[in-house]
Amino acid sequence: MRFLSRFSAIAVLVVFALAPVATADDVLPNWAYDLGARPAVPQVRDAKARIDNPIDRFVLARLESKGIKPAREADRRTLIRRVYFDLIGLPPTPEQVEVFVNDKSPVAYEKVVDELLASPRFGERMAEWWLDVTRYAETDGFNSDFVRPNAWRYRDWVIKSFNQDKPYDRFVKEQLAGDELFPADPEAIVGTGFLRHFPDEYNAVNLEQRRQEILNDIADTTSATFLGLTLGCAKCHDHKYDPILQYDYYRFQSFFAGMWPVEAPIATAKQKAAYDKALAAWEAKTADVRAAIEKIESPYRSRAQIKQRGRFPDEYATLLDIPAEKLSPLERQLQVMIGKQIEGAGADVTKSLKPDEKKQREELEKQLAELTKEKPKPLPLAMAMTDLPTPPPTKLLKRGNWRFPDKEEIVPGFLSAIDDTDAVVKATGQTPGRRAALANWIASEKNPLTARVIANRLWQHHFDRGIVATAGDFGVTGDRPTHPELLDWLAYELTDPTIRTEEGEQPPKWSLKHLHRLMVTSATYRQSAQGDAESAKADPDNQLLWRFPGRRLDGESLRDAMLAVSGRLNLKAGGPSVYPEIPAGLKGAGSPWTVTADAKERDRRSVYVFVKRNLRYPLFTLFDAPDRNETCSRRYATTTAPQALTLLNDPLILSFAKAFATRVIKEAGNDSAKIIDRAYLLALGRHPTSEERDILLGYLKDHTGSTSDAVVDLCHALMNLNEFLYVD
Amino acid sequence: MNQHIPAFRSRRDFLRLAGGGFGSLALAALAAEADARSGPSAETNPFLPKQPHFKAKAKSVIFLFMEGGPSHIDLFDPKPELTRMHGKPLPASFGKVITPMGTGGNSLLASKRKFKKHGQSGLDFSDWVPHMAKCADDFAVLRACQADGLNHVGSVCQMNTGSILAGRPSLGSWALYGLGTENQNLPGFVVFTEGGGQPFGGARNWGTGYMPATYQGTLFRDGPNPILNLNTPADVGDDRQKAKLDLVGKLNDIHRRERSDDTRLDARQNAYELAFKMQSSAPEAVDLSKESEKVKEAYGLNRKETADFGHRCLLARRLVERGVRFVQIYCGAGSQWDAHSDIEGNHGRLCTRADKPTAALINDLKARGMLDDTLVIWGGEFGRTPMSEGTTGRDHNPYGFSMLMAGGGVKGGMVHGTTDEFGLYGVENRVHVHDFHATILHLLGFDHERLTFFHNGRDERLTDVSGRVAQEILL
Repeated sequence: MRFLSRFSAIAVLVVFALAPVATADDVLPNWAYDLGARPAVPQVRDAKARIDNPIDRFVLARLESKGIKPAREADRRTLIRRVYFDLIGLPPTPEQVEVFVNDKSPVAYEKVVDELLASPRFGERMAEWWLDVTRYAETDGFNSDFVRPNAWRYRDWVIKSFNQDKPYDRFVKEQLAGDELFPADPEAIVGTGFLRHFPDEYNAVNLEQRRQEILNDIADTTSATFLGLTLGCAKCHDHKYDPILQYDYYRFQSFFAGMWPVEAPIATAKQKAAYDKALAAWEAKTADVRAAIEKIESPYRSRAQIKQRGRFPDEYATLLDIPAEKLSPLERQLQVMIGKQIEGAGADVTKSLKPDEKKQREELEKQLAELTKEKPKPLPLAMAMTDLPTPPPTKLLKRGNWRFPDKEEIVPGFLSAIDDTDAVVKATGQTPGRRAALANWIASEKNPLTARVIANRLWQHHFDRGIVATAGDFGVTGDRPTHPELLDWLAYELTDPTIRTEEGEQPPKWSLKHLHRLMVTSATYRQSAQGDAESAKADPDNQLLWRFPGRRLDGESLRDAMLAVSGRLNLKAGGPSVYPEIPAGLKGAGSPWTVTADAKERDRRSVYVFVKRNLRYPLFTLFDAPDRNETCSRRYATTTAPQALTLLNDPLILSFAKAFATRVIKEAGNDSAKIIDRAYLLALGRHPTSEERDILLGYLKDHTGSTSDAVVDLCHALMNLNEFLYVD
Repeated sequence: MNQHIPAFRSRRDFLRLAGGGFGSLALAALAAEADARSGPSAETNPFLPKQPHFKAKAKSVIFLFMEGGPSHIDLFDPKPELTRMHGKPLPASFGKVITPMGTGGNSLLASKRKFKKHGQSGLDFSDWVPHMAKCADDFAVLRACQADGLNHVGSVCQMNTGSILAGRPSLGSWALYGLGTENQNLPGFVVFTEGGGQPFGGARNWGTGYMPATYQGTLFRDGPNPILNLNTPADVGDDRQKAKLDLVGKLNDIHRRERSDDTRLDARQNAYELAFKMQSSAPEAVDLSKESEKVKEAYGLNRKETADFGHRCLLARRLVERGVRFVQIYCGAGSQWDAHSDIEGNHGRLCTRADKPTAALINDLKARGMLDDTLVIWGGEFGRTPMSEGTTGRDHNPYGFSMLMAGGGVKGGMVHGTTDEFGLYGVENRVHVHDFHATILHLLGFDHERLTFFHNGRDERLTDVSGRVAQEILL
């Protein structure tokens, strides 16, 4: 590989000659394709300005150049609420607030940050946006919307990776080629689930179209996720002004052309061998019983399968009759697609059996059940990706249409604007090693995009808007960075850290927690969300960060916050997803939404709520969760009447209000003032002002219902406040 | 902080959209005005009516979606040659035909229906739709429509969003995004389902894909409270609810004192007020007690077979009357028109359900002078094959099928496009889904190439990179 250095070497020189601090206007359209040298940390004029780390110098230098003053520091109650929601997605308890407010230590805040970064809740919070970016879901989409029973292991893998602070380069590599690069690590293959979250029309008849759509999805998602590039535009033809060529698109796609989706056991070679042995023993022992069952079922199965087979054009159906070794790689991929549909058609024939056959079968099933006690427990399976030994050829598709391939075969290669060489691909064991080559190229310190793209995503998470506002689009059509040098500096700080921790430790390379810590302990982050009117006039969009950008809770955090405040939150981590209550009458097509029986399980954190493509959990959708059909780098924050209606009238929200009220009465007794105080501390992390207290006392006094109704209404009102929904 | 304003992703997008060059909208002037006023209502309400690119013929759209794929060759596109060749295979010249159930090589199945010419225009309708036939002079029948998908979910998705893959905004969302809506107390885009099922693909068919959710369709439910969570729970009651809302308002006012420049907070308070207004305006809109018995009867409310669809058609008229921009009704939701077998029984039932209410809607709109600026669309996601499936059914046919339009600037009493002698492929004046959408947007006053939304590096359009307005059917 050879990372080109053509564009911004000149650009950077020009920038420095013109202005002391680079601004968005100085950046060339193709700024992203080359990373300059590590920028020097700028000087600031105001000697008394609060500088907690170099981030503040970059931000302040820009503000000073425009004559804008940063806001004062936020008060401690605001700060702790902000950083809790930000890092773990939950509000602090009243006790946690008081400890922090009264902590005299000069590093009181840093202590809180370290606790939160070490909390298992941290990974749950961060996984949420990563799962948006990687279009993670637990169903296929389309009409059947089949469940993907092993998908959740990827979600847990993401949470664990963030919690462990897995080096980002390793995190990338496991997702793109965990099977090829880390065959000895049974967990690494779970990461390749990233390549499996494509929406899939399982029962499509047109198999080549289905295959091409999957490849498009994988290529588009990979480039958006790790490189912040919207490659999809180049699918059909070259674009003027855009250095990503159609040729590049198919070069990039060819890394995945040999895709071979598998449900892979998460186990060591030894565990696998032991399992296979035990299974073989069980199979031998039960061979007769199973053969007898098969004898009954087989005619019905064949009938269903023949019918299913008839749906397909002959050239696909005949693939079923040819041994795999005689098929071309493309035919093998298609054979598996059709084969699974045919198998599925005859999977359950119990309904078709005649009564006597049914009885006979039940008898045999009983015998089998007796023997099944000895059946080894299945190994946990990951929804994973590996490759055929030889991938099918990739060809440029005219107008992006799979029916019109070009003649010439395309070999794997990178984006020619960044690196115009072909990839050097070395086979790894059973697979061709293409994805390993791509993973190594992306997860390289020299790649001009990788570190900046992830640094920008973290910045967006903490400051609501990325330094590049289009976090999934660093290309010529995306926004320019507001603080280009800061972005570069952060990228270098990720790959080659220089700032030591409070304890004087050198952070490891590619540590995301290091960047998180720098960002949330900066003075920029600790600013108040309220600034003065003059700054607002000079920079109404707060592009230069003269105040902290407050934001609305997303649907997941809103639900978690209501669960936490009402005392119902179940913090159990990991495992299969849960199905909480949904409004009556709502059902998505395909697999059903069967509400989890155990009420405690229903109250688990939002990240563990089942992700059904045809029916995203309504409260999340209402507050702008994406549908997970394609990569999403940034959510909207809409404000709609249905949101208000739901927060006011939905039975689930009312049940939160009731639980909250019960908790408040239990903790505060029957005294109105104490009730109000406790409710405020729980919901908002502060005491009411005397004005607010008077209003609320009056409200409780004038309430027409019972005392408990009055408290329920009060608690419900608090959960509807702007202050509850928006975190300063 | 502009990002919460649902219309534009960032200020930069707003400016590029407004400033021209990148597919500018004529609404630039209006948007700029909104920007200048910068009052909370202008900045926080993306639904205020907006001017399209040019004068619109249609103010509103009612899309009657026959889900599952009605058979054009049994309804609007008679094929004597098909009758003649009944029982024989397609001529070899047709080559290999791909269909989802592999019926390409099956023998041809003649229509059992009787066709007649109707109205002054002499449009063909079969005896399955006698009421619609009486409106012959109001309909333009597009006989050579084409779509890309073979299966339902992709094709329903394409008819709604332009793409067989999920993730793009629906037609109604584009209309709302471009035009806003006339009645701020009702959703601007309303969806009904009929027949007890869920449309294949569910809410994505009226979703916004990559656009802000603000523009999505609102599913109206049966009964007096059409919107989910519309009403105050009975055990809370209006007095308590009102007192609670007052409390929220008061506390929000205090909170806002130090945040006077934060328009999001105003917007949210407005949302509560709108929710409150909806609580009275939505039940009023769906309350039929003021409709005459004659009208109800015309829509078929007095008969079991037509009551459900008729009810929704009448509600569609009432909503459009009240300024709702886009109404969609799924007739036979859950792909009920999908007659893979027993087309006679299946279509016989569904036509009975759809026919009379459709005609009543056209007549009612006409009588009220509303048909001129209300576009009514009738059709499914594809048509059906002339080849038989089994002995009594027909497979999916996205290669050539009929869609009907009436009112809203469309010439009545005309046929546009032809299919081959069997009704399998469109051969002349083909109208692809993109062309169909381009035509609808044109009637709403938009150049489909300039109604764009910036997403993932592209100025996205409903019509992707194609689309031709079917000029021939325009008044």
